[in-house]
Amino acid sequence: MTRLPPNLVIGAVLVALVAGTAALSLVWTPHDHTLLNIRGKFAPPSELHWLGTDQLGRDVFSQLMVAARNSVAVALISVCLGGVIGVALGLLASAMGGVVEDVIMRIADIGFAFPALLFAIMLAAVFGPSLMVAIIAIAFINIPVFARVTRASANQIWTREYVYAARAAGMGRVVISRDHVLPNIAAPIIVQATIEFAIAILAEAALSYLGLGAQPPAPSWGRMLSEAQTLMYLAPQLAIYPGLCIVTAVLGFSLLGDGLRDITDPRLVRQR
Amino acid sequence: MIEAAGLTVDMGAGQAVREASFVIAPGDRIGIVGESGCGKTMLGLALMGMVPDAGRVSGSLTIDGTQMVGAGEAIWQKLRARRVAMIFQEPMAALNPIKRVGETVMEPMMVHLGLGRDAARARALELFREVGIPDPEARLRQFPHEISGGQRQRVLIALALACDPGVLIADEPTTALDANVALRVTQLLVGLAERRTMGLVFISHDLAAVARATERVMVMYGGDIVERGATEEVLAQPRHPYTRGLLSARPSPGNMRATGGRRGRLPTIPGSVPPLAELAPGCRFAGRCPVELDMCRGERPPQRGTMICHRSEEGA
Amino acid sequence: MGYFLFRRTISFVLTLLAVSVVVFAVMNILPGDPALSILGLDATEDALAALREELGLNEPVLSRYLHWIAGAVQGDFGISQSFRVPVSELIAERLPLTVSLAISGMVVTVILAVALGVAAAANHGKAGDWGIMFLSQLGIAVPAFWLSILLVLLFAVKLRWLPPGGFPGWSEPAAAVRSLILPTVALALVQSAVLARVTRSSALEVMRLDYIRTARAMGFSRRRVLWRHVLPNALIPIVTIVGLQFAALVTGTIVIENVFYLPGLGRLIFQSIANRDLPTVQALVMLFAAIVVTANFIVDLLYLAIDPRLKARS
Repeated sequence: MTRLPPNLVIGAVLVALVAGTAALSLVWTPHDHTLLNIRGKFAPPSELHWLGTDQLGRDVFSQLMVAARNSVAVALISVCLGGVIGVALGLLASAMGGVVEDVIMRIADIGFAFPALLFAIMLAAVFGPSLMVAIIAIAFINIPVFARVTRASANQIWTREYVYAARAAGMGRVVISRDHVLPNIAAPIIVQATIEFAIAILAEAALSYLGLGAQPPAPSWGRMLSEAQTLMYLAPQLAIYPGLCIVTAVLGFSLLGDGLRDITDPRLVRQR
Repeated sequence: MIEAAGLTVDMGAGQAVREASFVIAPGDRIGIVGESGCGKTMLGLALMGMVPDAGRVSGSLTIDGTQMVGAGEAIWQKLRARRVAMIFQEPMAALNPIKRVGETVMEPMMVHLGLGRDAARARALELFREVGIPDPEARLRQFPHEISGGQRQRVLIALALACDPGVLIADEPTTALDANVALRVTQLLVGLAERRTMGLVFISHDLAAVARATERVMVMYGGDIVERGATEEVLAQPRHPYTRGLLSARPSPGNMRATGGRRGRLPTIPGSVPPLAELAPGCRFAGRCPVELDMCRGERPPQRGTMICHRSEEGA
Repeated sequence: MGYFLFRRTISFVLTLLAVSVVVFAVMNILPGDPALSILGLDATEDALAALREELGLNEPVLSRYLHWIAGAVQGDFGISQSFRVPVSELIAERLPLTVSLAISGMVVTVILAVALGVAAAANHGKAGDWGIMFLSQLGIAVPAFWLSILLVLLFAVKLRWLPPGGFPGWSEPAAAVRSLILPTVALALVQSAVLARVTRSSALEVMRLDYIRTARAMGFSRRRVLWRHVLPNALIPIVTIVGLQFAALVTGTIVIENVFYLPGLGRLIFQSIANRDLPTVQALVMLFAAIVVTANFIVDLLYLAIDPRLKARS
């Protein structure tokens, strides 16, 4: 067996850590993360509270665990949502070609003019800030990304012999897209999804930090940081842990994505 | 003047050049022939001090009396362009695409010879004329993509001549060109070498071009110089089995007769050049040689006159 | 070349138009009744009617859009609901700060990223390369706002060298510059992580090419080959990414202004969200999106300047 690239291994370990923590928080946390204890606020790390308590005496470690779950959930929903729509549009563009392809890709270009933050700002201004706003905004910016990757990969498949054979056998474009194109472009799409996952976690954290995402009392790494920022002189340690969690999760998914690309893209292997 | 004695390039996986010894005097025109992967280009790079990082050079190589094996990059930088210059295979890719060709040719003169812009431009113009570039004034201002392949190779030759080197190494200078353009470039190189009494190392697998361009030839296989001599003699009466194979592999009326006049295949040397790591420790040609002896694979063949081979002439 | 310019210009204008349609649609059609969005559910019918009248909501959608876009082209974005002054005045007041931050951030980013990327490429496979790549991998994963908080913790809270936030105004230039140092560094460190990687891989790609070997064969020093031959050719993908990063830069500027309490456009947009000031939000979103689109247009024009081959082809 060939040796796996180190970024793949490290990424997989970090992702497993984050995902495992998120899953574990569903059934167990050291404390109830919402439990207030005003007298025990700003407690230092101890056997009881592994990472101490916050300004309301809530257990920081438990909050971080639940925040991991929220973060992963937001990333998963938004990337899947944006990914499904984007892949469908990309497949359609590639299958139809011509004007349809041009129009879809032009619209995708316009999508690139809106960073997730701008889109979230518009939605928050209209509907008021909520986690849903963050999810929709992140999903939205994922659509053009996936549409591009899918179309670029699919266009190569459409020139392959086996697609010509399928067309000669009278198969329709939809069937060919589903049975021949999609399975053969799964690798680059999965790689992209992994990388987008990292970006989504980063975006969710930023939106929540700015107050456009998770609303209190739902714990979120980004919101914990914005609260900690106001307490910087009192309890600087509170501004450290959530940031480390974000870095771990983002680093994990981006390394995993890089690693997957390294082992699935033969062009890159040659260059090493 | 370049003198190599026992010059070896070890790439880790194997020796890309094994104990090469030769002398290139001013005005000498020497060909190096062989299939690709035989160490021709690596030998050329070794003469420029440009062997890849993984390669280790040993033996002796003196350029105008200075020992260059073990010399640092700084010393090599002083010699390149001024003592030894090299032009490469692909004229399409060998020129900086975002620099006007005039600027490209002027740069070494300004850097190495301390010429000002105007003086450098005047010399570049002269060089363009010397290498036969039509309308040189206009050419100076053009970009590489705006001129033809043959013209680009001439620009590269002008660039190599910019600092008046004692030896010019031309690595497959005509391979990428059309036949008649190739012919004229070959003639140009010969003319330049004669006029400037400049040494010319002409690396090619094109035996006809080597025959036209050079007086002496070295045949390389697997990093060894397996046969050497006056170009005419070696091509007319090849002695080493590899040289014979190489010569019979080119199309000629004789070949056609050998296959019974049908449009048969050209005779070829069976097999292909193995990777460095798989070369036999003895004779490099062992395994593909039609007249191989038991000893060939394990023992290094002796120098027999102009070739290295275990077979004496009559046996071969 | 003329044709290329023409096509790019047309596509630039069309993209701007499309962006304006999206912004308008999201802010005006999606909510159903913007007046209700602004005033909230407990508003009286009279107040709603008055606001509808003021915002011109009684007119058909198309004429409202045309009215808005015609005004926007002339720099008229309507009246702010919360500040009760023209939105353009609000923007003009805060624009210098945001532009200063964005430009200083971009300049530091490019200098840092190109220096690090070229250094990594020049030491390909050695310790320096690994170190720089590790830092950049880390930099990609670090959120700008957290890095800002860490910088404030270190330089403002602990060392007390620089202010933790706020902006004294341009009347005190020295203090103004001091208060922009941490925001600029935070913005640039995060941005340069991506750009350094692109610079490195682009430089490595170019270093493999034949004309770099030609340059080495001409006896040029490594430094000369790197800066005069490799870098100019490696610039094309770098410029592309710089253009694409403008989106990230805009986002980054908005975030950083909020982290450091800088009274720029990024702060304004959040105040406006809190105040349900839809006309101001709409104007600012349009402005930021237009900056991103314009940046990409400028990048296209820069290609022409960098790559002579493109001129010939188009």
